[in-house]
Amino acid sequence: MNENLFASFITPTIVGIPIVILIIAIPSILFPSPTRLITSRLTSLQQWLIQLVLKQLMMMHSIKGRTWSLMLISLILFIGSTNLLGLLPHSFTPTTQLSMNLGMAIPLWAAAVITGFRHKTKMSLAHLLPQGTPVPLIPMLVIIETISLFIQPMALAVRLTANITAGHLLMHLIGGATLVLTSISPATASITFIILILLTILEFAVALIQAYVFTLLVSLYLHDNT
Amino acid sequence: PRAAWTFAHHAVPSTSCPKSSALLGPGVLQATRVFHPAQPRKIRLGLIPEEFFQFLYPKTGVTGPYVLGTGLILYSLSKEIYVMSPETFSTISVVGLLVYVIKKYGASIGEFADKLNEQKISQVEEMKQVSIKQIQDVIDMEKSQQALVQKRHYLFDVQWSNSVMALGVEVKNCLDYHISVQNMMRQQEHMINWVEKHISAQQEKETIAKRIADLKLLAKKAKAQPVL
Repeated sequence: MNENLFASFITPTIVGIPIVILIIAIPSILFPSPTRLITSRLTSLQQWLIQLVLKQLMMMHSIKGRTWSLMLISLILFIGSTNLLGLLPHSFTPTTQLSMNLGMAIPLWAAAVITGFRHKTKMSLAHLLPQGTPVPLIPMLVIIETISLFIQPMALAVRLTANITAGHLLMHLIGGATLVLTSISPATASITFIILILLTILEFAVALIQAYVFTLLVSLYLHDNT
Repeated sequence: PRAAWTFAHHAVPSTSCPKSSALLGPGVLQATRVFHPAQPRKIRLGLIPEEFFQFLYPKTGVTGPYVLGTGLILYSLSKEIYVMSPETFSTISVVGLLVYVIKKYGASIGEFADKLNEQKISQVEEMKQVSIKQIQDVIDMEKSQQALVQKRHYLFDVQWSNSVMALGVEVKNCLDYHISVQNMMRQQEHMINWVEKHISAQQEKETIAKRIADLKLLAKKAKAQPVL
């Protein structure tokens, strides 16, 4: 193992210059913007995928909610591409940093809630109380619902961070185990290697799923508040 | 690195090298530049262009480059130039997985993308065909209208000659009347001439005496009555 287990998670600097902004900007190279009607294979595949996802995501929203389409689609593309690129060896994943995920989650959540409070104050406040609660429970339930409302951005950020970080760590650890076991007993090492392969498949899935979940939840909060 | 290799192996047209442009005429550099070759350059193992293998073939035969590669890898491992780390195994698993997926599903995904483009083209083509057909229909209708107009010219001719014929009948009637009047006059003249020819002097005297006798009778009858 390197210096410590978390060496791959420090923000990369080259001779003291932080290049993390460059790293965050790099995944956008993978999404060329279509300039003509008949595009390359990559662009047409991306167009088709984006149409599919957009339709699924935006079907349940009203007209006002659909103004968020661009934001949500760029969100899911960004998170998906950064997570997938982070699976390559020796690469840095920006979404492992809690700072960045908080920076994504808090403004989006706050925008959804404030929109709701501005335009439909009564309905937003009504969300704080589930239907059909017995009267004595009401004060306690309102407090609980308020707390759960304020926890939403934290949950969004921490969920993404924890999942991706845990996945990378696990791959690192099992790789280390395989490395050590190769000299002790190659058979066990091969079993561990198989576990690693399965884990990699899981990581690919997790990368995409996390992006989806994040975006879905934001869109859910939006739906509540439009 | 792959892009760099393909750039370096733009070997065939030497005019694409900017250094030799001074030997050529103006515009040849721009005209002969190759952007994307239609067939991709041959590449082995996804990383190393075929030219490298051809370059080593005369000296080392077919296995040369492979032995060189293996030697380099073993050398870097044994001298710890490349350190085995947990990353190595995750690299092997990630890259291995990617290669497997691409080899298995690459062609079908490419075909799917081509099909998407094909759909777009066919939609636009459809619109073009419909538009062409509409315009063709309009042209045909226009032509048939023009033909009708030509034929209408004949219709007018027939009507004109009909009306002229009708007028001609009227004129003919008028002229016929005049002709018949003239004929009648001529017949009367013929009759008068015939009468004058066939009545002799003798008959004239007899008729005149008879007439005087008749007149005398009439005068006697008239004397009987008082003169008013």
